[in-house]
This record gives sequence, structure tokens and C-alpha cells, in this order.
Amino acid sequence: PDLPQMVRAERPAWQEYIRKLLYKDLSKTTTEKVLRQARKLNWDDPEVSSYMTKCIIHVWNMRYNNIHCAANLLAGLAPYHEEVAIHVVDGVLEDIRIGMEINHPKFNQRRVSMVKFLGELYNYRMVESAVIFKTLYTFITFAVFLEANAPNILDQPEHLFRVRLVCVLLDVCGQYFDRGSSKKKMDCFLVYFQRYYWFKRQASIWTEERPFPMDIEYLYRDTLESLRPKLQLCTSFEEAQKAVDELEKEIREKLASILPIQDTDEQTE
Amino acid sequence: RREKREKENAPTKVVVRRLPPSLSPEEFLEQIAPVPEHTDFYFCRPDMSLGSNAVSRAYINFAKFEDICLFREKFDGYVFLDSKGNEYPVVVEFAPYQKCAKKKAKKPDPK
Repeated sequence: PDLPQMVRAERPAWQEYIRKLLYKDLSKTTTEKVLRQARKLNWDDPEVSSYMTKCIIHVWNMRYNNIHCAANLLAGLAPYHEEVAIHVVDGVLEDIRIGMEINHPKFNQRRVSMVKFLGELYNYRMVESAVIFKTLYTFITFAVFLEANAPNILDQPEHLFRVRLVCVLLDVCGQYFDRGSSKKKMDCFLVYFQRYYWFKRQASIWTEERPFPMDIEYLYRDTLESLRPKLQLCTSFEEAQKAVDELEKEIREKLASILPIQDTDEQTE
Repeated sequence: RREKREKENAPTKVVVRRLPPSLSPEEFLEQIAPVPEHTDFYFCRPDMSLGSNAVSRAYINFAKFEDICLFREKFDGYVFLDSKGNEYPVVVEFAPYQKCAKKKAKKPDPK
């Protein structure tokens, strides 16, 4: 029978060279060398710069422990190839977003790599903290309704993957949100994250026979404990919800005191 | 870690997501013509490693904030068709990353 031949991607030599640089050579000890080689590429050729952009975005082709090298490399290229750096960041954020929309387990490792990459891009000052917070809040709000009977098609009760993604991002760069306004913002996020976690945890699908997965619980605890050792973690959804209510009340009061708002019936969220 | 004071300017960079994978940048611009005044435009071909989920997207950095609302009203949810007639309702939103390349001639890499 005529079986279709397995087609192996035939790539021109220059593409193979870029892939070798990024996916084989790049490591902690070779980053400088790879950067020098990468800078010698013919960046004026749009095919080269767009292929390079794509290969850097496809960071899951690298070893997980080398992902920070990709961020380091990009930071080294950025002064000369600003557009490439911007397109990579845009591409990373798009991939994180579309990962939530597709929500298929076959992309899980890719999504973890991508989120780690984003955190490293923050560590190498390629993105500002606002981008990190936006992403964190997207994980716990995108297509999420905090009601037991509401259909969360993209984030079903048994799906705990977003808890993992939040923890990955916090583990990579959370320690730098330790002072000033970024510390405050992180503290706020952790209040909301705890509510999201407990919303997941208290779902009725978890029973004696099918308990909430321990690995997720440990991951969550370890992440929060290393980030805020003194933080008293909430122990139920009700408690986490109460913490959110208090936080929002505080913010409303603060807003009311600085904004000349008259009494209205509408609540500001 | 010191962080530069973050600018909290109004966002101007908009992304049009979930465009048909076969759409070319020229066809896209034609379909949204007249394109509002902008300082940057770039188009991303689909990422084929996403298989059947691969879609294109476009970034536009608007010159005038007022144009963004109008553009969004017109094109958020607008259905683009690919060559086979498949429907692609697109999403228009602010790009999560607002940075745009400076238009100044950049320094060439001495390499």
C-alpha cells in the first residue's frame, strides 16, 4: 500500500543555523557567544529577522532550564533590533492568550515554557511590571465566573492548569515585587489569587474518593510561602472572599477620599 | 531592583486577533480601509505550530485616541472570510504590550 512518506521539514541552511544557535548552542555559558553570532546575521533581510523572531518565540524548543538564556539573548539584541524585541514580546503574550482560548492539554508544556519566558523577560527588563500583573490577572479572570453553576467552558472545575501557570510566573519573577507600589500590587493580586484557588478547591467535583490533587496544593503553598513567608493563608473560599471584599472596600474608600465623587447608587468595581 | 517610573499613558497600540490564516497584510489593510491615521502597523503570519488553531493578527498604533473607539466599534466581532469562505470573527483590543519601535533611524549594529 502507498503509505504517505513522513515528510521531514527541509529547511535552508541559514534556518538550520539559526535553530542550532538557539536550540542547541544557547546555554548559560554560551549566551555571549551566541549573541555575537546572532548579531552577525543579515538582519536587513526581513526573512531572517522574522524567522529569528519566530524561533525565539518558540522557546519551548529550548531546554526548560535554559529559557532565561533566551531572555538574556533578546535583551542583548534589543538595542540593535528593537522591532524584533517588541515582536517577540507581542508574540509571547499572544501565545499565552491563545493557549487559554485553545485550552488543550497537548499545549500544556508549551504554555508553561512560555509563561516562564515571560517572567524571565521581566527579569531582563524587557517588559514592565504592568505586563506581568495583566497576565496574572488574566489567568484568574479570563472566562472565569466565580459561581458554582456558571459554565466556565474554558476553565472547568477540574482544570487546575491556570493555578500552575500563576505559580510558574510568581516563582520566576515574583520575588522582585518586594517593595514600593509593586509590592502593594502583588499583595492585592495574592488576595484575588487565593480566592481563585479556593474557588477551584471547593468545587463539588472534589470528594473523598477524588480529592483535590496534592501536587497543586503543594505547588500553591510553596509558591505563596516563598513569596510571602509571613502571610496567613486563607483556609476556605468564604475567608478568601471576605479578604477580597475587605480589600475592595478599602480601595473604594480610598478612591472616594481622593475623588470628588458625590454619593451615587452605583458601586465602583 | 530599581524600576523606572512606569508611564501610565493612555494605550494606543491595538491588536486585531484571530484573523484568517490565509489573509495577507495587503488584503487586511484593504478590508479595513480607510485605515485611520497611525504611526505603526505590523502584521503577524499564523503560527503553524498551533495546527488548526493558527490565526493571523495585526497591530496598529493609532495616532489619535478617538479613532480607537470608532475602529473597535466597527471591527470588534467583525467577520473576516478566508478564500474558502470560512468565517473568522475577529477580536479587537488593546495590545497587552504597548511599546512600539521608535521611528528614528536606529544605530546600526557595529557587530
